[in-house]
Amino acid sequence: MLKTLIDHFVQWCYYSKDYAFIRDTPYGVPSVQSLHLAGITMLLGTMLVLNLRLLGVGFRRLELPFLAEQLWPWVKAGMALTIVSGILVFLPDPTRYAHNGPFRIKMSLLCVSLLYQFLVFRRVIRTVPEASSRGRNVALSAMSLCLWFGVAWSGRAIAFFQ
Amino acid sequence: MDLHSVLDWLQHTGWAVGLKQSDFMFPLVEGSHILSLSFSVGMVMILDMRLLRISFRSQRVSLMMQQLMPWTLTGFGVMMVTGLLLFAAQAVKVYGNTFFRIKVILMVLAGLNALYYQLKYYPKMAEWEQGSTPVGARIIAVLSLVFWFGVIACGRTMAYEL
Repeated sequence: MLKTLIDHFVQWCYYSKDYAFIRDTPYGVPSVQSLHLAGITMLLGTMLVLNLRLLGVGFRRLELPFLAEQLWPWVKAGMALTIVSGILVFLPDPTRYAHNGPFRIKMSLLCVSLLYQFLVFRRVIRTVPEASSRGRNVALSAMSLCLWFGVAWSGRAIAFFQ
Repeated sequence: MDLHSVLDWLQHTGWAVGLKQSDFMFPLVEGSHILSLSFSVGMVMILDMRLLRISFRSQRVSLMMQQLMPWTLTGFGVMMVTGLLLFAAQAVKVYGNTFFRIKVILMVLAGLNALYYQLKYYPKMAEWEQGSTPVGARIIAVLSLVFWFGVIACGRTMAYEL
């Protein structure tokens, strides 16, 4: 059932003319991939700052809620750029991705990451980590870092593994 | 001995061949190279945004630099080491790649841009860092964002046969 649905979707994408220009212009895919990587840099860079502060190993002269207030818009901007450009990489060439193992792991991890980001992490960074136990802070940031870098590494793995 | 034979010798050294042929090490080194962008360029972006007074306006530039620099430099260190390894593994091909050449030029420009900031604006930071950023330093921040995006785009585009 799910497989048939995915297959139909993939065929629709492939034969739809709307995104074919990306596949058919020589610089189409490299340009979209460059924006994807720029978005990743912005998203992971800002997430690193927040997590290093939560861990207590960096940015200690700035309070976490202040960092969160200043960086959250850039976290969201990086996320939006990455997701939109990612969809534009996927749509013109869905057959390459839909049945690729690392891609499926990446999409599953991405769903968990987004849920964690907006349900848990967003609230965590608005509180002062010093008020909680070190174990709790380490666990919360380890979860965030493993999820987002897990998405990124499985994305990289698409190029190398089936 | 001309450059071509040096590059040819380099990519045929035992460890370069080993790296290129390894199913595990090559993706690991390549993934580390790309994802350390979040430490290096990701944090440079934050400093540029402070110089442009888009984020962290209430904080002194010197404090932001002091908090960001250890991570930025670590990121650039990892990128340099992994980048040299990747270059060695495919020296002749990469050296001939147009986008690699543009990337190197842009990295030199980004380096000179940062050096100019360090020489011209860094020593007198105390005079301006609490108020508006000098126009020259703002231009440097914009150029930094442009150059580093160019480096990311050329690095990503190198992977395609164009």
